[in-house]
Amino acid sequence: MALPPILVLGIFIGLPIGLAFFLSIGYTGGLNEVISIIGQDVRGRDGKLFTLQAYKDVIADPRFAGDLKTTLIVSFVATILVLIFSIGVGLLQRLRGGKLSSILTGLSLTPLFIPVVISSWALYTFYGSAGLYRTIFNSFGLDIPQITSTMLAVIIGSIWTSLPFAILMVTSGFQSVPNALIEAAQDAGASLITIIRTVMLPLALIPIIIVATFTSIGVLGSFTIPYFLGPNQPTMFGVEITNFFTAYNRPQQSVVMAFIVFAAASGIAISYIWANFRSAKESGRV
Amino acid sequence: MANDVQPLNLHTKSMGVKAILVAFSIFMMLLIVGPLIWLALHAFVVEWLYPSYKPTGWTLEWFRKVFEVPTLVSAIRYSLIISPIVVIVSAVICLPAAYASARYNYWGRRTFLIMMFASNAFPKIGLFATIATLYYFLNLMGTMVGVIIVQVLGTIIFMTWIPAAAFAAVPKSLEEAARDAGASKFRVFRTITLRMAMPGILVAMVMSFIYSFDEAQGTYLVGAPQIYTMPTAMYAIVETYPIQVTAVFSILLTIPSVLLIGLARKHIIGGQLAEGFQIK
Repeated sequence: MALPPILVLGIFIGLPIGLAFFLSIGYTGGLNEVISIIGQDVRGRDGKLFTLQAYKDVIADPRFAGDLKTTLIVSFVATILVLIFSIGVGLLQRLRGGKLSSILTGLSLTPLFIPVVISSWALYTFYGSAGLYRTIFNSFGLDIPQITSTMLAVIIGSIWTSLPFAILMVTSGFQSVPNALIEAAQDAGASLITIIRTVMLPLALIPIIIVATFTSIGVLGSFTIPYFLGPNQPTMFGVEITNFFTAYNRPQQSVVMAFIVFAAASGIAISYIWANFRSAKESGRV
Repeated sequence: MANDVQPLNLHTKSMGVKAILVAFSIFMMLLIVGPLIWLALHAFVVEWLYPSYKPTGWTLEWFRKVFEVPTLVSAIRYSLIISPIVVIVSAVICLPAAYASARYNYWGRRTFLIMMFASNAFPKIGLFATIATLYYFLNLMGTMVGVIIVQVLGTIIFMTWIPAAAFAAVPKSLEEAARDAGASKFRVFRTITLRMAMPGILVAMVMSFIYSFDEAQGTYLVGAPQIYTMPTAMYAIVETYPIQVTAVFSILLTIPSVLLIGLARKHIIGGQLAEGFQIK
């Protein structure tokens, strides 16, 4: 009974990753034949493995260094800020409660239900040249530049889309810290900061790791946000991979970039799997 | 249930701390809801010129204009056909697995779990690029089947984990009691297990529908330019149509999510979703 989803994942995720890897190192026969004929600049010959020429092409491309830098900076900064915001909201809700914090938590979940295309576009109009953001500053007599088409806008957009899941996870992590533990620490004279640092954060560590890894993987692999909000060049790999695949018809180079992103994310991916597996184990699901 | 935990109600007398809390909350609200309201308002305006706080006038004209754009009408049709199919296919594939993983400790449980997490641990766009490579061979590029498969892949995590948690929450003693009273295995499953797990299954279906309805990256990569669903049509129209048309279309695209979430709100925010993902 458990077989169908495993088969589907195997055929449409496992197999393609394998095939694409072989394509990236120059295997153009077998199941890769069609794409090798259709695509431009495909390196490597039928049946013969191993050429790193496609990787060399991509790295030698003048766009590569800028794209890599942009992707890494955006992912890193967005993840840090998402962590700060979600921990802030989570603590507020856990320690203080009240109407304000429940409204805040409720509202923070809104983006979960808004298609990412819409949110990107909404952010674009909000921060764009005729957006409310500039209108507000204008009424104070400040004529500031628009922030769309900059890295800052991509970071704001990434935070916007990642926040709901982060808040959901962190909040439930803090919920599982027993009141008794916090009160015991209070009775022993610990300050609020000490309690947060030594009791609450360590006990909610696993959900926090899940949030950090999930957010950074999500941002690394995002397309819509940088497509709408980012500059044309340099851009994030998500946009570049899509451009290479469709607009430039260079699938092999596109796949090579995908593997570079996979490699960059592999450490995070392993921590993500580990943290999820542990949390599943703790809750007795395995 | 973790959500029953009462907050500590730590209150502070310091006005400074209070001011910071209020400022933080207002900042978060503006950050989150501001752009949505801003875009939604544009659906009803004649024109809105920078730097005015007020549009030149209000109108409902744009709601009619949207349906005069053939690309958008066909996108609406594609979305309404594809998303229900995705939910059904995903349910057929995943629900038995969800039940099995909740009830039997079968060999692949760990492998299965790790595979699920692993498929989430790869940056999405890279996965879509590799899938498209296979699609060229299978001749699925630009086809409806291709789009459906790409979307089903994303729903598997919802369709297995949320129902699995729901199935696991059905007390075994209840099933056994029904069996002792003489009910057949199938009847026990239908009238007890399935019925009690139904909220979880419905939440999974709602989440899958919304995922499919909103999925843009993969659909765009394997579907365009032959197949545009509502979200991928947005890529095409934002540059060519006035902002009011895109605002109306955004509202149309958000309606199903908001409606469904409204219906299933209690379960989603309260627990089923979080439960399926992590807490128990």
